[in-house]
Amino acid sequence: MTRGADPARSELDARVLAWMREPEWRDDPARFEALALELFAFQWERCQPYRRFCERRGARPATITSWQEIPAVPTGAFKELELRSFPTERSAHVFRTSGTSSAARGALHLDTLALYEASLLPSFARHLLPDLAAGERAPILVLAPSPAEVPDSSLSHMFGVLLRERGTSESGFFLRGGALEVDALLAAIERASASTSALVLCGTAFAFVFLLDELARRGRSLALPRSARIMETGGFKGRSRELGQGELYAELEARLGVPAARIVNQYGMTELASQFHDSVLRLPAEPRRKLGPPWTRVALLDPVGGGPAPEQAVGQIVVIDLANTGSVLALQTADLGRRVADGFHVLGREPGAEARGCSIAADELLAGADA
Amino acid sequence: MTAAEIREQLAELREAGVKLRRRPARETHASLARALELWASPDSSWRRRLEQELPGATGFSRENVREGLARGLAPFRGEAWLALVRAELGDPARLDAAQGSMLSGFDATAVVLAGSIPQPTLLALLSPLALRSPVLAKPASRDPVTAGLVAESIAEVDPELGRCIAIARFGSGDEACLRALLEADCVAATGSDASIAALAARVLPKQRLIASGHRLSLAALGPEALRGDALAAAAEAIALDAALWDQQGCLSPLVVYAVGSDREAPDRLAEALARALASLERRLPRGQLEAAAAAAFRQECDGAELRAAAGGGVRLLGGPAQRYAVVREADSAPRPAPLNRFLRVSPVENPEELLASIRPLAAHLAGVALAGFGRDLDRVARGLADLGASRLCPPGELQSPPLAWHHEGRPVLLPFARFTDREAPM
Repeated sequence: MTRGADPARSELDARVLAWMREPEWRDDPARFEALALELFAFQWERCQPYRRFCERRGARPATITSWQEIPAVPTGAFKELELRSFPTERSAHVFRTSGTSSAARGALHLDTLALYEASLLPSFARHLLPDLAAGERAPILVLAPSPAEVPDSSLSHMFGVLLRERGTSESGFFLRGGALEVDALLAAIERASASTSALVLCGTAFAFVFLLDELARRGRSLALPRSARIMETGGFKGRSRELGQGELYAELEARLGVPAARIVNQYGMTELASQFHDSVLRLPAEPRRKLGPPWTRVALLDPVGGGPAPEQAVGQIVVIDLANTGSVLALQTADLGRRVADGFHVLGREPGAEARGCSIAADELLAGADA
Repeated sequence: MTAAEIREQLAELREAGVKLRRRPARETHASLARALELWASPDSSWRRRLEQELPGATGFSRENVREGLARGLAPFRGEAWLALVRAELGDPARLDAAQGSMLSGFDATAVVLAGSIPQPTLLALLSPLALRSPVLAKPASRDPVTAGLVAESIAEVDPELGRCIAIARFGSGDEACLRALLEADCVAATGSDASIAALAARVLPKQRLIASGHRLSLAALGPEALRGDALAAAAEAIALDAALWDQQGCLSPLVVYAVGSDREAPDRLAEALARALASLERRLPRGQLEAAAAAAFRQECDGAELRAAAGGGVRLLGGPAQRYAVVREADSAPRPAPLNRFLRVSPVENPEELLASIRPLAAHLAGVALAGFGRDLDRVARGLADLGASRLCPPGELQSPPLAWHHEGRPVLLPFARFTDREAPM
């Protein structure tokens, strides 16, 4: 057996890929339902831990009648188990979640990157480049390490694909060896600002805080072109001072001249092939909310009772992603969200939110264990 | 409160401190002992008010608060306080004397409180007063009740001493107020590593910072506690330690290690813990969970269910619907702790493996409940002391630490003291 895409799934993959490659996004509940149920049956058959988990809950292809009933796997499980729906020998790529010790890092095994890449491009184009013609390139400056430096980072891989497919020659990565290359970035911003294309600054929230702090230290503020836009993603994970989203966007506007209306948060995770983006750039007159591609669904779970969260209530985010063909399509995150029209908000943990007691919290405990 | 009001309050407290120091220190210690007696007595009006107001303010069930206070405050007696003063400060006359090794407190101490468990709050407010340092306390946002009641109770016992304690209420994000509060000569703060680091960055070298971080506790049962009646008793005791304060305290056990070569012992222990937690849910119901805590609890339960399905010896007993969970792990790797009555049972072969498993958690270790180690007990105790555990006790006692417990591995009162050594002859 060789590495690479599992032929047993080629027909399913082809149907999902065809959807991703359609020029217009069309919500098609029947198509989603059919593909979700077929994919569930496929993964139930081939991913043994998932199958046994479903069986404990009485869920099998014969009993599941809608995507809402597909059992979701907690994202933390990727730290403990290889949740693959293909034979080990076919594994071609492994993405790992961030973390400082290998024991605490989750791993997503993939036999093909085709769906991953096909899913991210139209989402990025739709929400970050809505004013550009199909295929038009833009200078994309990335405040994250390159995929060559961290080949197991799905985030770096995503940026690599974006640069390859939509970036101009001015594009590049400006975080190396954990340090932001501020001078090179400022020079690149200056060059890109002079060009007629729309400048895109992308990166992790903590890398933007590094940039803000360095600009403050130098007493500098930039005035990026009006067409510039920012995509920030990921949290702080203790790597910089922590800011609430409002504070971060206010500082970005003050220091870079990019208003909040042109700052898009991307919600994604290593275990998910697809991403969700803020609607602001594409739908500026509408309330900010996260929107995903039509081959995804988001359900909100009542974290206390376990059933669907009541309308307007805060719920635990569950994602069904048809692009996850090689692993498991239904994922239960530890994040909380709230429905907003046809999308949702992710409720971030407020920086400085106080614990109820003096016992150590989950992530603090593992941070201690890593030290 | 505004920043100006906080500065004014600090000035008043400093003045009240000057007056207090004109009285013999012994009087202050006696008043604090009387105040503690009020808190130790289940029938005192202060205890009853706290039992009444704390559940609504913190989300703990009424039964849990009552039991937690009964067990937690039982050792907080006036006599124990006076013994602690003697043990750490020696003769109280050292605070009044002008000769020899003299003791003083700071002109004012800011106490930044955190969390919703009352006993640490009580001790944090009393300790600077033992050195006659007036206290300006910022209550925890999670417990707006306890600090105010403690201040009132001290004023009832001794009005002059009561003028040496005040409460500063302001929002967590109010920078100006925080700056004003941190102008106190001494700052005692409780909180997460991140909160402590943020405060430490604002405290000047001339000030004293006494920090108490978040901690975790564990339990370990040796072979003699893993069979028969001893197993049931130990499991019930550990379940109580975890259920009190819904596992939110730094003395709440998060992991129970089953030590020995008996392959079935971890299963028996997990089952006994689950039975005990189920029974405690009826007697001391868990409080209401906020959405984030419920999500973390569910995430870990579902993750354990998936690992159990994958085989390899993992089992999940209980779950979100049962309001407790026990996960029988197949190894002793560190894993997240969602709290709220979520216990992991980890098997280890022998005391050496136990200590090696705990080592990654050592930086945050507080208490360890121990039973069933027989002749190995001293070896285990010494090893845990070397790792940094500050308290070793039998199961069932974790939530009733003695007043003199060296929380954070240091004395209780001495960190608030300033020494002056007068050399003779002069």
